[in-house]
Amino acid sequence: MDSRIKEAVRYLGYGRHAVDEKTGELVRDSFRELDEIAKGRLIYRIFELEVLDDSRVSLGELEIISKVLAKNMRGCERAVMLGATLGIEVDMLLRRYSFTDMSKAVVLQACAAAVLEEYVDGWQREYEEEAGREGYYFRPRFSPGYGDFDIFHQKDFIRLLDSAKKIGLTMTDGYMLTPAKSVTAVIGMSKEKVPCHRKGCEECRKTDCLYRR
Amino acid sequence: MILERLGKELLYFDGGTGTLLQEKGMKPGELPETWNLTHTEEMVDIHRQYFEAGSDIVLTNTFGANALKFYDTEYELEDIVAAAVVNVKEGAWMGVHDGREVYAGLDIGPTGKLLKPMGDLSFEDAYEAFKEVVQYGEEAGADLIHIETMSDTYEVKAAVLAAKENTKLPVFATMIFDEKGKLLTGGDIPSVVALLEGLRVDALGINCGMGPDRMLPILEEILKYATVPVIVKPNAGLPKQKDGEVYYDVTPAEFAKTMRQIVEMGASAVGGCCGTTPRHIRALIKKTEKLRDFSGREKKVPNNRTIVSSYGRAVILGEEPRIIGERINPTGKKKFKEALKEHDIDYILREGISQQDAGAHILDVNVGLPDIDEPAFMKEVITELQSVTSLPLQIDTVDVRALETAMRIYNGKPMVNSVNGKQESMDAVFPLIQKYGGVVVGLTLDENGIPDTPKGRADIAGKIIKEAEGYGIHKKDIVIDVLAMTISSEPEGAKTTLEALKLVRERYGVCTVLGVSNISFGLPCRPAVNSNFYTMAMYAGLSAGIINPLSEDMMRSYYSFCALMKYDENCECYIRQYAGKGNAVFPAKGTRLTLKEAIEKGLKEEAYHMSKALLADRKPLEIINEEMIPALDTVGKGFEKGIVFLPQLLMSADAAKTAFAVLKDALKEAGDVEQKKEKIVLATVKGDIHDIGKNIVKVLLENYSFDVIDLGKDVPPETVAEAVVREDVKLVGLSALMTTTVVSMEETIKQLRKKKPDCKVMVGGAVLNQEYADRIGADFYGKDAMQSVYYAQKCFGGQET
Repeated sequence: MDSRIKEAVRYLGYGRHAVDEKTGELVRDSFRELDEIAKGRLIYRIFELEVLDDSRVSLGELEIISKVLAKNMRGCERAVMLGATLGIEVDMLLRRYSFTDMSKAVVLQACAAAVLEEYVDGWQREYEEEAGREGYYFRPRFSPGYGDFDIFHQKDFIRLLDSAKKIGLTMTDGYMLTPAKSVTAVIGMSKEKVPCHRKGCEECRKTDCLYRR
Repeated sequence: MILERLGKELLYFDGGTGTLLQEKGMKPGELPETWNLTHTEEMVDIHRQYFEAGSDIVLTNTFGANALKFYDTEYELEDIVAAAVVNVKEGAWMGVHDGREVYAGLDIGPTGKLLKPMGDLSFEDAYEAFKEVVQYGEEAGADLIHIETMSDTYEVKAAVLAAKENTKLPVFATMIFDEKGKLLTGGDIPSVVALLEGLRVDALGINCGMGPDRMLPILEEILKYATVPVIVKPNAGLPKQKDGEVYYDVTPAEFAKTMRQIVEMGASAVGGCCGTTPRHIRALIKKTEKLRDFSGREKKVPNNRTIVSSYGRAVILGEEPRIIGERINPTGKKKFKEALKEHDIDYILREGISQQDAGAHILDVNVGLPDIDEPAFMKEVITELQSVTSLPLQIDTVDVRALETAMRIYNGKPMVNSVNGKQESMDAVFPLIQKYGGVVVGLTLDENGIPDTPKGRADIAGKIIKEAEGYGIHKKDIVIDVLAMTISSEPEGAKTTLEALKLVRERYGVCTVLGVSNISFGLPCRPAVNSNFYTMAMYAGLSAGIINPLSEDMMRSYYSFCALMKYDENCECYIRQYAGKGNAVFPAKGTRLTLKEAIEKGLKEEAYHMSKALLADRKPLEIINEEMIPALDTVGKGFEKGIVFLPQLLMSADAAKTAFAVLKDALKEAGDVEQKKEKIVLATVKGDIHDIGKNIVKVLLENYSFDVIDLGKDVPPETVAEAVVREDVKLVGLSALMTTTVVSMEETIKQLRKKKPDCKVMVGGAVLNQEYADRIGADFYGKDAMQSVYYAQKCFGGQET
């Protein structure tokens, strides 16, 4: 099965269950629509990074207090800060379906999340190769709001990336990214290769989560 | 005065300031605007360099100086803006050596926030933020207001209105497009040009985002639609990164070379944006100096297209015929009237969406009903509609206050329905078109009524067009409705209308609209008359029929006409619509499913037909109790057990809803009174703009016959409390998605406890759990949507299933 279909089905809470035929159809329709209207845009910057102690990380001009981030970044000397979005059209489509067909809205929402992941993964693979030539290895993506990495840092990301102007990625007063299908993250870059297959999901301590991988 | 020179000679802007500020030691993270006060000398020097290079217009360092973006505890916004203007003037004094006239442009950048309904910044708050800055700027002596790098039509509208309403200065506005000629918020070039020209900016254009070469195709498209002078300010190429620093690498010579092309194409004012320096401007001026005087320039053919727009797209009238959907209108529609009275916005939105799906290009919006606060309601409906459809809207009202309110908050250049030949009507409507921009429908009637000859109607059209001219409204922004009178009482009605249509097009060359279906009033088999008359009217030159796009007869006429008249290349649209489509009729008999099974499987169509079939020999209530409720219970239980999943649960809910609608109509016909339904208020709390969770709960609660009062998203605590008290509600459901917004949830609960102690509160949302819910004082935490249904049943003493 297509990996993004698998992701979407997981977001829908199916766990290990097989997806039923009608939902499967909705999933395929949703991806078709998203391929047409989603406009992936991404912006990134590289910053110097230093893990100051087991709970403080200096990233460019920022000092971030977070144990999980410090752990994640140990051994890194640089980091990619990135913001990505699928654009406002996806939000509009979601809103439209929430008035006419709620099951479609729910499925579309899950599929959009999968499309965003796939889009950022795709970029990351390419960029990782480029950085690899300079001898850098990438750590998993880490976003404000993961564990004790405070969501309030969202604001720094938006500002440092100038993402409102560059890709239309903004934030509400409640620190939600707008458009809704957007992400910000930091990726540690180190010269040493550490085995780190753990991604955000496994890192999370909410082990009873319905959507856990 | 700059306006005397604009469009008559080439004007030069300055270039970027970021690079220069960095060179002068500005650190990353510093707010550049504070340098106006802390590093006055450096700022003045940067401006001086540009004046020395030859710039006519130098922009103030105030790009981010608005209350929404600029937070600094040390400096006041007013002082920053005032100093910024003074710095440019100082720079001019030091840098202009040839006595030429130069200008300080007050630079206005975007707020960095997304506007409602997709974001959380209200149009009014954006307006206020811009208003503050432009007032400071004018007081400090700025010569013009330059709004730039805008990527949202709605935000730029707020900025232009703020500048126009609060200052006397000329207003320029430039937008940031991507390489496909789209704004980040989706708008295309004609829609942007239509909006800005409608708002009467003095110049418009493009800046930032890319280098000069990639702007060429975009400029070409802008020039196709624009009548006002066009500004072009590219970056020095695309941004590149090295060692964490962003840089641009188009050299001054390369920059100047392409800029010359840009001037030759027809740009009237040029300069640079990110990465450009005084050297770029110097090179640009050297390369284009000979093109400075426009007296030898080829006169542009004025753009006479009739364009209406939404935030996302423009619709051009006068080429192939267009469809204006007529269904958002209470006239003669019982269900619609009920929806209006009950404030059922969802119903109206669905009417909009279904018309778009059926092929409408523009939607007429009429919410006029006695005893309704039309201005407030119109505003709400327009805003909500624009969040679910990108079709341009036609604001249809006789209430001038409602019209102005709607035009003000409309995102785009609307169509306005209508003005007529009465002096009073023109006096009221034209000033609004002049101010906000719009295409207005002119009805051919006046103080003496509706003339019964084609000539009489065309004369009134002429009067309307002439009167509009006095307001500076071009006839391209007038579309004439020659009115269709029913043939059952006016035997000559159709002929007069068709001839008037032709005459108006010939005489004035303006576009036309027509409410088509009036023609058959009082006759049997109206669709036949309507669709034939529709074809005749299109043939007589109708630009846009106001019709019901859900009527298959009308759409057949439309698609056939387009195919016949070669508006539909290779009959593609026609074939797409009708190829392989027989008259599919659902086989009501012979299917083995029961209604219960259809609902369980989430089969909407089948549920509809089956419930109709069942009504033949069973009572509605019996069907509800024996088929529907058991089906919903089975699905709900399956969901709890983890063998039915959310999409399936919702498909079943949808199927049940369809069946319910059929049965409800039957109940009403039989004169049975519907059971009184228990009210539940739902809201996504303040600060939270994601409402999918709340919407899921709503669908399910409605399925279980609760009367849901949906307050929407980003709802302030007071609004929830007010609604609960007003409607005497006993249960509220609140949703929050983020840790940052649970605070508002807590506050909402507090207010509810105080104002309505007997009301229970259930909460849900991604970040919540039982512990959290307890801490903020909720009565119940619903871990999924079904739990909230069960809790609601428990609250209202129903059986817990």
